[in-house]
Amino acid sequence: MDMDVRLLPASFDPAAVHGVFLTRFGRLGAVAAFTGVVRETAEGAAVDCLYLDWYPGMTEASIQAIADAAAGRFDIRALSLHHRCGEVRAGEPVVFVAAAGAHRRAAFEAVDYMMDRLKSEAALWKREVGPGVDRWVEPTAGDAADLRRWSRI
Amino acid sequence: MIDILFFGRVADRQGRRRMALALPEGGLSLFALRLRLFDGEDDGRLRMSVNQVVVSDDRPLRDGDEVAFFSVFSGG
Repeated sequence: MDMDVRLLPASFDPAAVHGVFLTRFGRLGAVAAFTGVVRETAEGAAVDCLYLDWYPGMTEASIQAIADAAAGRFDIRALSLHHRCGEVRAGEPVVFVAAAGAHRRAAFEAVDYMMDRLKSEAALWKREVGPGVDRWVEPTAGDAADLRRWSRI
Repeated sequence: MIDILFFGRVADRQGRRRMALALPEGGLSLFALRLRLFDGEDDGRLRMSVNQVVVSDDRPLRDGDEVAFFSVFSGG
């Protein structure tokens, strides 16, 4: 398993990360990728940026644990997980996740799984800041429901 | 001495991100520290870690421990 897991305090280029990932692992046959970008509005209010507070050491360990779990759970051979911390401006990428393997289903599911867990379990604290908004955001009931999709029965 | 860190909403409410505290003679437990720091404004949703491991049960604190208080995680 090839894993590239990074917590990034400065902006990054998901297209470049995706390009490198495709070059290295495209020959496996199936590559799935997701990029999350900071929206310019939240519940009708303009958002200038997110601030993602983080706990050096614990935050990295929490995202590595999510990557490790995906690697153990799905039939994939490589994954990439890049997550921003600190101030992320509207329109900038905040997260990039990719998985590669022999077949598409496992790659799709690994990416979906990592995103659902990141939303609720990454040790990050998200604040939305804009002209009329300044609030800490907590996981929603929808995020919790997304997470439950992956609980084993 | 122990280090105490605050993150997210909890850091805002405390008006600080870290502090150091000398353990009193006779010791101090995690829950006693929580009560001391958050008395009256603990909404029950406070999360805690000791030496970067999330914990929910009480325990004695030892010299050199790093304790953190924070709200629920919200990544992505």
